[in-house]
Amino acid sequence: MSSVSPSTSPSTAATGPVGAIAKMLRANLQTYALIFATLVIWLYFSYLTNGSFLSPQNFSNLFRQMVITGFLSVGMVLVIVTGNIDLSVGKLAGFVSVVVAAVQSNFLTSTFPDQPILIAALSVFTGVAIGFLYGVIQGYIIAYLRVTAFIVTLGSMWLLNGLILLVTEGRTIPANQSTFAQIAQGYLPNEVGWIIAIITVVLLFYGMFNSRQRKRRYNFELSPMSLDIAKTVLFSVLVLIYVYVVNQYKGIQAPVLLLAMVALVVSYVSTNTRFGRYAYAIGGNRQAAQFSGVNIRRNIFTIFVLMGTLCGVSGVTLASYVGYGTISAGQGYELDAIAACILGGTSTLGGVGTVFGAMVGSLIMVSLTNGLQMANTPAAFQYVLKGIVLVIAVYADIRIKRSSN
Amino acid sequence: MANATGTNILEFHNVTKRFSGVVALSDVSLNIRRGEIHGLCGENGAGKSTLMKILSGVYPWGTYEGSVLYEGRELKLEHSSIRQAANEGIAIVYQELTIVPSMTVGENIYLGKEPVERGVINWDKLYADTKQLLEQYKLDIVPQSIVGNLGIGKMQMTEIAKAISRNAQVLILDEPTSALTEAEVEKLMEILEILKSHGVTCIYITHKLEELFRITDTISVLRDGKVITSKPTKELNREMLVSYMVGREMKERFPEGQHTPGKVILEVEGLHARNPHTNREILKGVSFQLREGEILGIAGLMGSGRTELVATIFGEYGKVTSGVVRLNGQVIEVKNSRQAMAYGIGLVPEDRKTHGLVLIQSILKNISLANLGQFSSLFAIDTDAELKRSLEYAKSLAIKAPNLNVPVDSLSGGNQQKVVISKWLMSQPKVLILDDPTRGIDVGAKFEIYKLIRELAARGMAIIMISSELEEVLGMSDRIMIMHAGRSAGVLDAAEATQEKIMALATGTVVPTEQAILNQ
Repeated sequence: MSSVSPSTSPSTAATGPVGAIAKMLRANLQTYALIFATLVIWLYFSYLTNGSFLSPQNFSNLFRQMVITGFLSVGMVLVIVTGNIDLSVGKLAGFVSVVVAAVQSNFLTSTFPDQPILIAALSVFTGVAIGFLYGVIQGYIIAYLRVTAFIVTLGSMWLLNGLILLVTEGRTIPANQSTFAQIAQGYLPNEVGWIIAIITVVLLFYGMFNSRQRKRRYNFELSPMSLDIAKTVLFSVLVLIYVYVVNQYKGIQAPVLLLAMVALVVSYVSTNTRFGRYAYAIGGNRQAAQFSGVNIRRNIFTIFVLMGTLCGVSGVTLASYVGYGTISAGQGYELDAIAACILGGTSTLGGVGTVFGAMVGSLIMVSLTNGLQMANTPAAFQYVLKGIVLVIAVYADIRIKRSSN
Repeated sequence: MANATGTNILEFHNVTKRFSGVVALSDVSLNIRRGEIHGLCGENGAGKSTLMKILSGVYPWGTYEGSVLYEGRELKLEHSSIRQAANEGIAIVYQELTIVPSMTVGENIYLGKEPVERGVINWDKLYADTKQLLEQYKLDIVPQSIVGNLGIGKMQMTEIAKAISRNAQVLILDEPTSALTEAEVEKLMEILEILKSHGVTCIYITHKLEELFRITDTISVLRDGKVITSKPTKELNREMLVSYMVGREMKERFPEGQHTPGKVILEVEGLHARNPHTNREILKGVSFQLREGEILGIAGLMGSGRTELVATIFGEYGKVTSGVVRLNGQVIEVKNSRQAMAYGIGLVPEDRKTHGLVLIQSILKNISLANLGQFSSLFAIDTDAELKRSLEYAKSLAIKAPNLNVPVDSLSGGNQQKVVISKWLMSQPKVLILDDPTRGIDVGAKFEIYKLIRELAARGMAIIMISSELEEVLGMSDRIMIMHAGRSAGVLDAAEATQEKIMALATGTVVPTEQAILNQ
């Protein structure tokens, strides 16, 4: 073994770009395996449905369908990374959706009859605020009163179920105000879609060159230029293809854009801020984090507040998506969110997991549901297959990790 | 079996083990004679653990070249077949304990082979057998006690009892004494003598040379995967052994240093503190002063309160009931590690794996964990600056790794400790507390850490260094505080201190003199 060399990645000088690609693949084996699995699932369903699975319309719907549990997965990753769990997210999102529906139909519509934008804005604010407040309470009990997250959120699940029944009184409440409906049902015009795509591509290239320049300033070893460019081109092409396909239908889906932005922000926060780093350290070794001056309670509190807020966002999207609030709102979403995280490589032991992985996990879950429905698989078998896939995926993950060690 | 004494029970023939191009063992041939205590030493990474992992089936037959003969037959272990090795009569006591803390001594010893009658465990027989076993080896442990409530010494004894209860012919002890007090080491030596008289062969891996010379019949030294020597103990001496291990003549075991202690920076007066969980009083009056540029050694047996003392000063242990801590003359109350860091106090904790490191994370993230504030602008971390600064420390401490993205659990003990020290140096403390910093570290890395501590002191940092090894505390400290039963039993100047004086104070066999108290 040599002493530390000034690079973040192993030296590539000797092996050239082919070796560099092989190394990159090996280092991110899990990520690539996930993406590969998604593609296999898509092609399989596409074959089963004679191509209609990957038609622009279904492709567009697929991504819309992942949004509601997607928001939950974004927060759930951090919760699980710290070694906690949140079983209440489905019911909290459901509760938010029924309150938003109730406030909108019983109060907002009659109070501000001619101000659709204000109604929509107040609906969103109400929903997010409820999620935030619930997160504050739940986070306080878990972090500062030190009741196990599992117990607190299990209790919350029942409590929120009761509240949902109280608010709805067993009825379905409409939430179909037209501006509000745009949140989950809106599409961007094709031109706007292309502008977003181009901005994204420009940012991708700017980010790559900027990062290389900073590395050079610090005299760090750089990965081969060709490899960096190839990676950036690949991502750019994916973005362009995506926009091209959804533009064939109605354009970029408003909720998908919202989820993408939230996921990007949380992903950045999780890797590039103290708050995020501390979360991983707490999950990796709580005592070592404690001895390194990490404020564990505040960190866990903040994570549950974030989780609650994201439940708020998810609940608002849910109300907008279905256009009403109902007693079964959010039923079982917590398990979908947890499964998405696990599929995406989050360790239940804590300390390991990425937002990106959880997003791909979410996409896999939704692809399975959607594909099985399109292939007319009976509901019973849909559950059976999803269960089997989850366990097999985790087993494969264990094997991959073992072989790469 | 007894008549075969003198023949080899284990023979390694030209064993070579490679890991993806790196040679861990290179053409190792070694004979272990029946009934002997065979010492095995070498720096971390020398190949001792690899050799033992071949014996336990972690590296099964076929994954290495060469052959291992056990009782004259080739040993062909399957993957991770500790049970198979145990059935063959090879038992291993690892450095990290493998017992279940929430179970009793008896349950632990018979875990996996409980006496069963008609599908039900016969608890009476289990505890009777345990009692008999413990008595046979003169172990003063109650079979029904919960292991987690025992001290680390008795846990270690339980572990050994568990190993020998399976009729082990060969018992391998990997660094068994790194956590033991002198008295417990004494006890272990007695047990080994008893085992030897029963004809059990022992392979004893340790960094502690005194123990090797005291107990072993033969000593083998490994270096860089090769057997450097394998000789009867009586043909070797300490200097020879050290030079075999490091491959160079090591004249001095402790580096020279300039000592010019400055003004008093930290002052502890009559500190009393309770364990926050049990409310038992752990510190019963500790007083000392620490100067800038000074190394204050703290000696004391396990349970003397030395770890609790420094953890209390760092704000992460006790409830202070009386007494004061002053920093530069100002009374400070430290409630947690964040405040301690704000005051410029750093602590390299005793157990690096549980308190010092996030093992699954990279070297980089471990070094920067306590110092992210230094690289954070309003919100985000400047990851380039983080990497740059971490590299500076990794280089100056000569951490051996291909790059900083390597997870720390893949490093050797010495390098892991350097990561913890890097973390605290980066926080630029005025007072650095090191709790047994060389525990379980090989000779070469120890020397590097000693040199580093000396340099830091020379630059004016005030250092408190707890040590379990008397020689180390004598060799490194300017002054030595000895703790006994939660009190400071005395402070000795390095010039006047001897092993005997320290031991006498640490065991409470002498009452501290007026002079010793005045010296505080």
